[in-house]
Amino acid sequence: MNYQNAQGDRRPVDPRTGKPIGPMAQPGYYPGFSTLSQQKFWDAKTRDVVLDRVNNVPPIRFFSPEEAKLLEAICDRVLPQDDRDQAHKIPIVPQIDKRLYENSHDGYRYVDMPPDRDAFRLGLRGIQEIAQQQYGSGFLDLGPREQDEILQSLHDGKPSAGHEIWKKMAVHHFWLMLVSDCAEAYYSHPWAWDEIGFGGPAYPRAYMRLERGEAEPWESEEERYEWEPPANSLSGKYELVAGRVEHFGSPAQGGTH
Amino acid sequence: MKAPLWGEFRSQKRKSHMLGPIQRIETPMHRFPEGEEVDYVIVGVGAGGGVVLQRLARAGFRVIGFDAGPFWDTERDWVSDEKGAHNLYWNDLRITAGQHPLAFGANNSGKGVGGGTVHWASFAPRLHPSDFRIRSEDGVGFDWPITYSDLKPYYELLELELPVSGPSYFPWGDPHGYPYAPHPMGGVGDVLIQGCTKLGIRVSAGGPVAILEGSRADRPHCIYRGFCIQGCKVGAKASTLITHVPDAIGNGAEIRANCMVSRIHLGENRRVTGVSYFDPEGREHFQKAKAVIVAGYSIETPRLLLNSACPGFENGLANSSDCVGRYLMAQAGNVVLGRFEELVRMYKAPPAHALTEEFYETDPKRGFARGFAIQTVGPLPIAFSKQMMTAKGAWGWGLRSVMMDYNHWAAFGFLGEILPNAENRVQLAEEKDQFGIPIAKVTFNLYDNDKKLIEYGKNKTMEVMWAAGAQEVVQEARYAHLVGAARMGDDPATSVVDQFGRTHDITNLFICDGSIMPTQGSANPGLTIMALAARVADCLISQGEKIFNSNERDMQRPPMRRDLSPPDTWGHGMPTFSS
Amino acid sequence: MAELPDPRLERSLEEVDLDLREGRFQRWLSLIAGLSSILSGVEVAYEHYKGSYSRRIMYTPVILSGALALGGVSGFFSRRAAKTVLPALSVVTLADGVTGFYFHVRGIQRKPGGWRLPIVNMIMGPPIFAPLLFGVSAYLGFLASFLRRSEQPDRGVLPRPAHPQHWATRLTHEHEPITWSQDLREGRFQKQMAMATVISAFFSGFEAWYSHYKNNFRYKVQWTPIIIAPMLMIAGVGAVKSRRAAHTWLPAVSALAMVNGGVGFGYHIRGVLRRPGGLKKPIYNIIYGPPLFAPLLFAASGFLGLLASLLRREKRK
Repeated sequence: MNYQNAQGDRRPVDPRTGKPIGPMAQPGYYPGFSTLSQQKFWDAKTRDVVLDRVNNVPPIRFFSPEEAKLLEAICDRVLPQDDRDQAHKIPIVPQIDKRLYENSHDGYRYVDMPPDRDAFRLGLRGIQEIAQQQYGSGFLDLGPREQDEILQSLHDGKPSAGHEIWKKMAVHHFWLMLVSDCAEAYYSHPWAWDEIGFGGPAYPRAYMRLERGEAEPWESEEERYEWEPPANSLSGKYELVAGRVEHFGSPAQGGTH
Repeated sequence: MKAPLWGEFRSQKRKSHMLGPIQRIETPMHRFPEGEEVDYVIVGVGAGGGVVLQRLARAGFRVIGFDAGPFWDTERDWVSDEKGAHNLYWNDLRITAGQHPLAFGANNSGKGVGGGTVHWASFAPRLHPSDFRIRSEDGVGFDWPITYSDLKPYYELLELELPVSGPSYFPWGDPHGYPYAPHPMGGVGDVLIQGCTKLGIRVSAGGPVAILEGSRADRPHCIYRGFCIQGCKVGAKASTLITHVPDAIGNGAEIRANCMVSRIHLGENRRVTGVSYFDPEGREHFQKAKAVIVAGYSIETPRLLLNSACPGFENGLANSSDCVGRYLMAQAGNVVLGRFEELVRMYKAPPAHALTEEFYETDPKRGFARGFAIQTVGPLPIAFSKQMMTAKGAWGWGLRSVMMDYNHWAAFGFLGEILPNAENRVQLAEEKDQFGIPIAKVTFNLYDNDKKLIEYGKNKTMEVMWAAGAQEVVQEARYAHLVGAARMGDDPATSVVDQFGRTHDITNLFICDGSIMPTQGSANPGLTIMALAARVADCLISQGEKIFNSNERDMQRPPMRRDLSPPDTWGHGMPTFSS
Repeated sequence: MAELPDPRLERSLEEVDLDLREGRFQRWLSLIAGLSSILSGVEVAYEHYKGSYSRRIMYTPVILSGALALGGVSGFFSRRAAKTVLPALSVVTLADGVTGFYFHVRGIQRKPGGWRLPIVNMIMGPPIFAPLLFGVSAYLGFLASFLRRSEQPDRGVLPRPAHPQHWATRLTHEHEPITWSQDLREGRFQKQMAMATVISAFFSGFEAWYSHYKNNFRYKVQWTPIIIAPMLMIAGVGAVKSRRAAHTWLPAVSALAMVNGGVGFGYHIRGVLRRPGGLKKPIYNIIYGPPLFAPLLFAASGFLGLLASLLRREKRK
């Protein structure tokens, strides 16, 4: 993919040496931790579902090859994996494609949004239009900094072009849907669990060390290392979506109580 | 150990329907022949529908429970995986509108036998006595047609039936104790206790939650796996699927799973005659019934009534008051997240295990009516990543970076009372679902009191998180739990049903779910829905045949039928304190 | 009729030693059985509270330990009680402990994964040996019922056949010139007591191992009971084999175990106080903090060892 090496190194950096980190099989602070190594302790149904997710990457059926390529470039910035080696990148676009192909969703749609399928197609067009308007070329041909600037403008709710499209759908709702989909594909994968130290499936065997963040015998202790996002990225700092302080416009789902 | 003894766990080759690792349904379920009239049809087998179904079956009525989703076999169908639990929710489309629109799906809905109780976190506090008369006391909202003392014996009964674990002395509202002991807590509970203790706020440790602390009959003790809201495969967490439905089936009830009820039919003499439904193959049928109980929760119940409009009820069945779909409520459920220097690992132990109701009642000094509770939550990675997305605006490398700190974060859920408003409502959209039935469109706005309450409560919750020693505290706006949209009351002009769930307009049409609650308090509604359902059932059973052949409305308080509880209710647990 | 403590109870250390050696400590052993029963009763009360008394049978050890405590105390005051009520209660309590052991094994089996996940389910399930450990005080009570009282007049008299009134002697046919009950009566049960020490050390050491393992051995000191328990077991076995070991190793290791239990008790109190909420959540923190009385039960194994070292060896072969 030509954009990969367009401008500068995309890998995160060790702040002490200034050298890039990775690519490696398992980023994160839990070296050697593997949830998949515990699969014999999972119930059969869960093991089937999780192994299917790992071993059977769904084919692209909803998006056209061009759309898929564009979305891939976008997801590479929305959820960058440049510290992961090629064999351990977590597939994101195939999961989004599967969801849209099956037309599954979270059970609701904002009144200011078209159906998810249309929203993704519109969003891809909108991103290309911004790329054309701002840089005079397609998103795929841009370097990481320019790509991040376009995505940052969606994050901030201030896209510079494609206004016809953003009239049809609320830009921050599209942005949240895009990030959510990427996050869901990434953090539903056992390799991501290993990265963040999450214990994974827990039935029939569960936990015995509940307090003080203690590790189970089969979990790993945290071993932190310093890293910084690459200088050519914009996504390393935190700003509220669309600059909003109050987010009831797009309430979240997780952590039910 | 590298593997369990005798190798990996495999799926067992067994025929029986499993509800947890031990409980099974052995006897074949009774099937009513096509065309046969039954006594009751119940639409939706969730918190309310499950309880009323069990009571009616045990009392000898011929009853069918319809559910749009599957009749879960927890061993075969459920997974110990966040993404894989997606099918537990009502994922059919709804349109959400308004200035402060609601989220649905995983947030507040269930599809399948057990309804939302299969994925509730199972906090089971009672309402406070003040919740039943907030119009009289605070000049806001609506008074219930019943008082706390009407519901109290049912609360006590349901706390035994589920059962509910918690402290032996719960100090808020009407002080009481729980029949099962409090749970050991994970890191998040410890953080809440720490923060509250620092600030001198009383806090309840280890409950009240409807999760077994101690095995009971064929349900094992909790194993603290933290996947409560993905469906409890252990069978320790109560859901009507495992607590009430097995007894209903044992007493001759039929569950028609994967059957979507599309319409309630009105016959002569302003009486309903049965329901139309789509079977799993998509064929439409009619089921004749002497009475119909709608228990589809706050979106599907009004949707079904509105979709059942007919001559005489052009605005929707039983909607002469124009209250069907109105006064929908959600609780404010902001999630407050704090990062700690030490590890927390909040995925361990049930997400629900400690709470404080210290701010539950109206305090004039705060400048708004009613109050809120603070509870523990334990988001798993996907939920947490989305929270970081909204609470911090994280994406890209920022998201990757904060997610690597997942184990350092703890989360509280603020649970605030939003007042009922006629404009917060369920209507029908233009769009139709896969059966051709118009889908629900829900409009939701926050009003002045709600906004003040959320602002105050959110800040207080963050204060507790800081007090516990967090280095960074963020929050995201969110809603929890729906109730209302077919509220009960004494006046037929301003409510849909009477205090026994009977619609004011039609004497053999009942509603028995969260939608009949006129206000919501700051307590998770599950236990209240079940207690109301048990009370509705007592009314139906005491009136017997009269409901089937008379339009007379008997408002006498029914005697409480403790003998109709599921058999495992008795002979377990501890004596409780009751004031 | 309760006998008042005899003025002759005040005696010199030598006399006390002689009393012990000759089995004249029924009063004191009864009392110790009663007091240790209070400890294990409190422990089982809150452990079963953690299990919500979900089965009615879970009340039985709580009730029995209360009864045994009363039995022990009345055995202190009354010889008749020490010979009747105390052994009866002890036998019922022992039977209850064995029943409890069955239910605990079954409870582990009924946890998800059952015995296929032995470590996790033993740690998180009902404590497997706790019901048997609970039987230790019953064992002491049972022993006490055979002993003599220090003020009894047969001091220094030649051994004579066992007290015929003791009903437990009828459980076995005793034809030997010197019977087991007579050995007990005369303080000649060092080997038996050493064996009891071994068993008790095993149970409480095992409990210490898995509960400290559950806690990931966060403090180095948590290893001490795990190390001392096998030492005590070895010393106990040695004492069975050799009189010499019974008088050297056994009392030394036993004293160590008692000190260790005392120190552990202090650490466990500190652990409870340090929990979130501390003293503001006393009941919660006691039930979910480190088990307060477990180290004392460990110390009790040491006490058994110490007692054994002071006794005489069995005559009966």
